[in-house]
Amino acid sequence: MSPLLEVIAAAAAVAGLLAVGALALAIGDGVAGAVVAGRPIRVLPLLTAPVARAMLAARTGSTTTERPDGAGRAVAPALLAGLAALAMVLLPLGPGVALADPDTGFVVYSAAVAFVMIAVFLHGWSPNSTLPLHGAYRFGAVALSFQIPFLLAMLATALPAQSLSIVRIVEAQAGLWNVVREPLGLPIYLVVGLAVGFWGPLNLPDGDDLAGGTSAEDAGWARWLWQVARLSMLVAVAALGAAAFLGGYFGPILPGPLWVALKTGLLLAVMAGAQHLLARVRIERFVGVAWVLLVPLALLNVFVSGAFLL
Amino acid sequence: MTGALIDLSFAAFSLVAIVAGVRVFRTDSMVRAAFYLLASFAATGGIMVLLGAEFLGMVLILMMAGEMLVMAIVMVMYMMNPAGLNPMVMVHQPRTAVVAGVIAFLAIAGVGLSGEVPSRPAPDPAAATAELGRELLGNSMLVFQTAGVTLLATMVGAIAIAAPRGRHGDAAEGSEEPGLQPDEEASA
Repeated sequence: MSPLLEVIAAAAAVAGLLAVGALALAIGDGVAGAVVAGRPIRVLPLLTAPVARAMLAARTGSTTTERPDGAGRAVAPALLAGLAALAMVLLPLGPGVALADPDTGFVVYSAAVAFVMIAVFLHGWSPNSTLPLHGAYRFGAVALSFQIPFLLAMLATALPAQSLSIVRIVEAQAGLWNVVREPLGLPIYLVVGLAVGFWGPLNLPDGDDLAGGTSAEDAGWARWLWQVARLSMLVAVAALGAAAFLGGYFGPILPGPLWVALKTGLLLAVMAGAQHLLARVRIERFVGVAWVLLVPLALLNVFVSGAFLL
Repeated sequence: MTGALIDLSFAAFSLVAIVAGVRVFRTDSMVRAAFYLLASFAATGGIMVLLGAEFLGMVLILMMAGEMLVMAIVMVMYMMNPAGLNPMVMVHQPRTAVVAGVIAFLAIAGVGLSGEVPSRPAPDPAAATAELGRELLGNSMLVFQTAGVTLLATMVGAIAIAAPRGRHGDAAEGSEEPGLQPDEEASA
């Protein structure tokens, strides 16, 4: 196969994985909402709701604001979706099988997560409007707070692998999954994951209390694109979390890629549940908890993981 | 990667780095300038990855995201321009700056062209990363730990000054509006 064809095939594979994941999360979110609220689960409306939203978005006109930053408004959703794709490229689907396996995969994934703050800030700053700007500043505070717990939680998974490659991090879990070896890692990662995808209790930049926050001025397909990019980012975070903590493709009987999908689905289900079971956290409380509680816990996690290796 | 693809990537990264670098000074907003600078740094990180410094290049890209955001917010904070969207000129003393820039460019280009280019094939990325780790925790450990502890002390100091409950008492103290009835306030 020529290199160009390979690139196109890889891009299509990543886009397909993200689209399936985002659709599953949108449907799962609807199911979780129905379960929590005690409503009957009506299958057909729940399945068609994402399609209906897309069709509504396509028929709704777009809006503009006074003196917006046009480039920023256009780039932000593309950047967020691109970061999700960048993280997805690193996902190991089987022994040694990943679209890309750089030696510094861990750093590449961390850079993708760090750039989410740029995408969200740009999205909130560029409309030149009050509520989106509030959302952007909020996410600045949230993102700077979750950065260090995220890096430390992921770093602990690189210790047993003695490598920064995501493929090697999964391989090192052949005997024991990191969720057992480092029980603190996954909870910290999940909290951070909710913040990365600004979802559920940590939906601070786009929260309803800001009338949609950074997306308050978005309408039509622009709003839809941003939501899809956000769901894609959550899918990528869940998939990489399943790889780093839940042993990725390891599992009995079923083939490896199916285990990856099941474990990713499990983490997505936890996130969908959090959306409906937990109240939104105030930003001061989250920033305080991140620095005072999550950073020391993540450090402890690294020390314990290191001690096991001695 | 094949040679042609590396050359093409190098050309693309260099172009982005230079164009975005120029835009930092030609744009009219603090926040835009910060984001152009970020694009320029990210492209430079890409060139470092091409040069075989995979870890350093990716860490540069990773660190710059947070740093440029903080820089943008701090710059806007000091401006009478809450969103950083009002137009403003990004350069001071433009003539002096142009002369200084041209001289600096000529000097660096002169050094680059006249100096000898070392020909040392880079080790594979994993080995380069391991070498870097040994250097950081070996010969250069004292330097890096000194810098690290100094930075940590600075951060603790900054938080101590900025925290609501600082050494001068509660930050909200005395900031409440006086009551409508002066007598009531006095009696309370």
